[in-house]
Amino acid sequence: MSKPYSDPYLAGTGLGLTLLAAFALAGRGLGASGAFTSVAARFVDAPPLHRSDWLLFEIGGVFVGGFLSALAAGRFRLVLERAPRMALAFLGGAVMGLGAVLARGCTSGLALTGGALLSVGSWLFMIAAFAGAYLLAPLVKRAWR
Amino acid sequence: MITAIAIGIAFGWFLERAGLGNARKLAGQFYLTDLTVFKVMFSAIVTAMLGAFWLSRLGVLDLAAVYVPETYLLPQLAGGLLFGAGFVVAGLCPGTSCVAAATGRGDGALVMLGMFAGVLVTGLAFAPLAAFYESSAQGSLTFPQLLRVPYGVVVFGVVAIALSMFAAAERWERRAQ
Amino acid sequence: MRRALAAIAATGGVLALLAGSPYPLDVQRLAKAVAREDDHVTAVELAAWIRGRKPGLRIIDLRTPAEFKDYHLPRAENVAIDALTSTPFRSDETIVLVSGAGGHAAQGWVFLQALGHRNVFFLRGGQDEWLEAMKQQPEIGRYFGGVRRRDGC
Repeated sequence: MSKPYSDPYLAGTGLGLTLLAAFALAGRGLGASGAFTSVAARFVDAPPLHRSDWLLFEIGGVFVGGFLSALAAGRFRLVLERAPRMALAFLGGAVMGLGAVLARGCTSGLALTGGALLSVGSWLFMIAAFAGAYLLAPLVKRAWR
Repeated sequence: MITAIAIGIAFGWFLERAGLGNARKLAGQFYLTDLTVFKVMFSAIVTAMLGAFWLSRLGVLDLAAVYVPETYLLPQLAGGLLFGAGFVVAGLCPGTSCVAAATGRGDGALVMLGMFAGVLVTGLAFAPLAAFYESSAQGSLTFPQLLRVPYGVVVFGVVAIALSMFAAAERWERRAQ
Repeated sequence: MRRALAAIAATGGVLALLAGSPYPLDVQRLAKAVAREDDHVTAVELAAWIRGRKPGLRIIDLRTPAEFKDYHLPRAENVAIDALTSTPFRSDETIVLVSGAGGHAAQGWVFLQALGHRNVFFLRGGQDEWLEAMKQQPEIGRYFGGVRRRDGC
């Protein structure tokens, strides 16, 4: 039987300390969408697609960390959703890709990092993202049954 | 680069610990059935914000040397709305999709593929977006600069707002029982 | 445990109100910048920046309003030295401080560095150096429309 999830405030504090460590050790914050643009930059030469080896290494770490945590908690399990959900996962991902390129980041690089550093654009992005999600939520409610 | 990997490991660890590698749990935020996303995000923001402020104030960290994500008002407003829309449809964001995939979830892998496709297509079709993309640039603008108040005042404000909203979130979740 | 976290956060937040600026004044770093001469620009360099329309360039004149009115650099802004620290600057702006002979401007450089601004310079010899350069290097003098420039242009 898998263990229950951690207290969200505790996990959030741990996440915040990780972000703080990034500030102290690397002079920058976290990122995720940047790793995707970094890979895409190898195929397409476009101004918004920046290459970042730091983010590629970091996202590799994210895989490892997520895997280890799941393993330790007995939560690793191969799960495939029904086709409609999988299709929406792909579609949602694609739209997020567009949004992340325009905004120069995602929840990790903007909301968390920029949020902690009091960046105006990052807070704007975060509020807009929550707004966009809440506005669309009623329309996709059925998909979440 | 070892630093990057180590930080990434901790990042992925805490996301999974909180259950944010699970799309259904994440989506619950937007139906107000599960407020974990909000609690984790804002605990992280408050922790890192206070930590950065105080470590710098005490001379341990140089806050001015940390890269502050730049502000582009219109692209980030539009990008944010789009991102949120995609988020509620997918149930995962870029970082959590990696965690989901790493814990065996197929939908995590598909969100990753979709993200990659979306980024590629945006890059290919970038020309008409270029002007909009570069618009309303404000550099590394922060709220202390924008509001012309001391940094500590904004820090206090964020803490006050976050703690009030945590209290409200707890009341909400108790009510739903 | 949640209460402990909340209490720590609340304390940290309240004390932040009274803590002053989080940006450290690292005198070693500043001293090194001065030794490397990264702290100032010459009139010739500044003229090149103005002619090249360097993006985000802000020229801050720390002299008295009377002195400013008499003559000032093109696009200069008049700010009193004790108002300098509450003047908002964005981190993508390049700030060049100008005073009569460079003394106040050099002091202003330290103040802005202490507030966390990194893209700050001062005109080494101040207004005096600028006027000298305009006389000595006629190409610059011609570009900037002669030696004297009244306020309002």
